[in-house]
Amino acid sequence: MTADGAAGAAASVGRRVRGFLLPPLPVARVAVLRRIVYAFVLLDVLWLHRTGGYHAYADPVWYEPLVAGRVLGLPAASVPLVLVVKWSCVVAAAVALTGRFPRLAGWTVALTWAWFQYIAFSYGKVDHDRADFAVALALLPTLAVAGAHDRRRSETAGFVLRAVQLTAIATYFLSAWAKLRFGGLEWVDSATMARAVVRRGTPFGRMFLDWPWTLHAFQYVLMGAELLSPVIFLLGERWRRRAVYLWYVFHASVYATITIAFWPHLVMMLAFLPLEEYRDRLRAGWDRRRDGQRRPSAGGADGDGAAHACVPPGSR
Amino acid sequence: MGGGGAAADSVAMAPGDDVVRLRPASVVWRVGLVAVVSTLFLAGALVGDDHWWPFGPWRMFSTSTPPSGAVVSMSIEVRSPDDARWRPTPITLESVGLNRAEVEGRIPQITADPVRLGTLARSHARLRPDDRPWTAVRLVRNEVVIVDRRPTGEVRHVVLATWTAP
Repeated sequence: MTADGAAGAAASVGRRVRGFLLPPLPVARVAVLRRIVYAFVLLDVLWLHRTGGYHAYADPVWYEPLVAGRVLGLPAASVPLVLVVKWSCVVAAAVALTGRFPRLAGWTVALTWAWFQYIAFSYGKVDHDRADFAVALALLPTLAVAGAHDRRRSETAGFVLRAVQLTAIATYFLSAWAKLRFGGLEWVDSATMARAVVRRGTPFGRMFLDWPWTLHAFQYVLMGAELLSPVIFLLGERWRRRAVYLWYVFHASVYATITIAFWPHLVMMLAFLPLEEYRDRLRAGWDRRRDGQRRPSAGGADGDGAAHACVPPGSR
Repeated sequence: MGGGGAAADSVAMAPGDDVVRLRPASVVWRVGLVAVVSTLFLAGALVGDDHWWPFGPWRMFSTSTPPSGAVVSMSIEVRSPDDARWRPTPITLESVGLNRAEVEGRIPQITADPVRLGTLARSHARLRPDDRPWTAVRLVRNEVVIVDRRPTGEVRHVVLATWTAP
């Protein structure tokens, strides 16, 4: 290959990498995602995942520092520490939700939320649904100006969305890898799902113990779906959305069976969807309904909306 | 940084183009960040463990359980000053400040030093000051026997460790 040819090939690869990692995507999409993410942080810290708060009451003998804690010298949980970290996170998320001080508030949320998770996970049990959310919190502040109605597309917005998408799909793909690493190839023929249902199954989930082959077959389906999850990046827009909906159906069925929901990860899967379009549709539907309710009360009592609004009452 | 067009690492849009593009340096640090974070996640998946969080392996439900055998779970039973009977009580965050999996992961430490169970009684007293205090706690291993993934109805209980208040 000539020097010009090599340079051309390198430039082509560079363009492809840039096109994949930094696709120009709507700024408004990140603006919507940002609001959902910071609203979720409030929900998560105050209600869904309060493990860290309870660890303040556990004896320090149960504290088992993670690598990050050993490197940073983080102490065991105490009531004052947990209160400071938790409420700093809540205040910062509330500020970030308003769109003010997006970088300061955003990175404060990222730091305090991660610390709160650290407190939760340094007592012997680590949840595996939160790494993609940490990536989102770290990157959202890089898009300092994100107007909810900004119709432009930007590479900064595209990078945030792509990074979240990649980590979200890594959650699936590397879960399959972990099954092969820790459970071996025989994982698909093991009784892992039956065990999960016996330990924490709902009445709905326990029904499947009467047809154990369903739980066995589900393990093949799960392994296949997780291994194939990266294919989502090759799909067109319509099928990509359908794939995301299918994952939501999968998570709903897991919740119905063993009451495990990967809440932050579910939020992260929204990064694949055209959120600004959904918002506009919701708003248009809301406006239509509101107009439909207003017009009859102004022009009559029949509630048939715009078509009748201009018609004199006497001619109806 | 920013996507609004006026930010320091973005370049102005070309006429007729609605795409705000990044300057080369901003592209480089982002691509570098992806490389570093991907390496950490892959290393965690290949050789890491839970202590690597957030880069540890995604290992929930990753172990293999034989189709026939016992499904094991732990529970605790407690005594109060006015009741000599052992009463089962759930291991929950709200009750003892730890969840069941966190206790289940420390069985060797508990059996080697049952005094650890006393810390659960103290945590319970702090979290539930209106409840009756616990004067003794014992850890029970519950085994639900399954054959071909189907519970047979046989459940075994084995006491692994007991702590009594001095």
